[in-house]
Amino acid sequence: MEPGCERARELMAGAWMAEQDEASALALQMHLEGCAECAAEMAALGTMWGRLGDLPVPEPSPMMRMRFERTLDTFLAARPQLPWWKKIWPSQPAWQMAIAGLCLAVGLGAGSLLERGRVERDEVSRLRDEVASTKEMVALSLLQQQSATERLRGVDYSARMPQMETQVVDALVQAVNRDSNVNVRLAAVDALSKVAGDMRVRNSMQQALVQQDSPMVQAALIDYLVDARDKNAVGVMRDLVARPDVNPTVRERAGYAVRQLGQ
Amino acid sequence: MNTVNGNTDHELMVAVAGGDLAAMSEIYARRNRQLFRFFFRMVGRQAPAEDLTHEVFLRMMRYRQTYRAGELFEAWMYRIARNVFTDHTKRHRLEIPAVEGQMELVESTRPTPLDSVVKQQDLALLHKALRGLPDEKRELIVLSRFQGLTYEEIGRIVGCEPGTVKVRVFRAMKEMGQVFHELRKEKAS
Repeated sequence: MEPGCERARELMAGAWMAEQDEASALALQMHLEGCAECAAEMAALGTMWGRLGDLPVPEPSPMMRMRFERTLDTFLAARPQLPWWKKIWPSQPAWQMAIAGLCLAVGLGAGSLLERGRVERDEVSRLRDEVASTKEMVALSLLQQQSATERLRGVDYSARMPQMETQVVDALVQAVNRDSNVNVRLAAVDALSKVAGDMRVRNSMQQALVQQDSPMVQAALIDYLVDARDKNAVGVMRDLVARPDVNPTVRERAGYAVRQLGQ
Repeated sequence: MNTVNGNTDHELMVAVAGGDLAAMSEIYARRNRQLFRFFFRMVGRQAPAEDLTHEVFLRMMRYRQTYRAGELFEAWMYRIARNVFTDHTKRHRLEIPAVEGQMELVESTRPTPLDSVVKQQDLALLHKALRGLPDEKRELIVLSRFQGLTYEEIGRIVGCEPGTVKVRVFRAMKEMGQVFHELRKEKAS
């Protein structure tokens, strides 16, 4: 075997399939001119390669197709029912990526809107707090006014607040104790009924009951403490019943309260 | 790459793998003859070639989920075909050797004038010589000469470099030539 015969064999196989470039064809030709053995092989095997193309092959019978269709039908019948989203989900990765991208964009858009909504809600909440704070300031300011009418407006303003802040409660208690106007004091007692559950407020009401000189306010305070079911007020009530300087109607009402709270 | 009806074989097989089994019908229409011819050249008889072709499509459906997005459809299909053929030869080892009575040389549809009778006899001997080759050598000749595959594609199917495939095809052809000449001598004597 000449040097280069192995390479020539590779080139011969390429030549049979017409898979060779110009340089390979030239190299093969040059080798065959100088190597009788390879030239003979190329001639004999090349002819045989050509003759192989004459070997006939039949067509598959129609039975083969029928058999396949039966098998396919069996597979189709046996496959699990796809969920609706899988039926519309594309099989091509490009479409899958496009849909995923769209979902991402929609998600980001929705997230952005929600975030904007959240910011708006925060803004509203902040404004609400500011309004509440302003109302409180207005109420406190009104309770300090010279005019009894203005102070009554202040009490009314305070009573309408959804949540009564400590400062407002203190102002109302102070109004019950010190306001010169009976109507303001009565209105303040009425306004404080919203915070009757607060023991601190009830104690203040007991002290106010002792200090009050107005029978109407005293009566209102007794009713307040009875409504609040404040059993600690029984002692104060008994003192009132025992005091001869207290208005008889108030003493009678206090006696009634002692009986109510003592049950 | 077959792109009839807008979808490549690869795209169709991805659809099948994704659950769209109906797409298998189109793949069958495109590939059944090609596979049948491969098996006919390999086993030399129509009925087993049809059985093996059917088995390839059955396995494609059964193992459809193993098909990957980066796969080359043709290489995948031929890998299944080779496995099917290997399983077949294991089961029918004793039937495979070229026994004259078992071979079916299909009648050529071309007219056969009297002066080409010798050539027709040669064709029968060539068929016999091809059948007389070991499976792996016959397979290389079938893939390269009859299935229209390039050496690079064959390399992907059998798992070696195109240059190696060329050398092996040459050797297979040389061996077939020797078998052919021996058969011719036997016939002459």
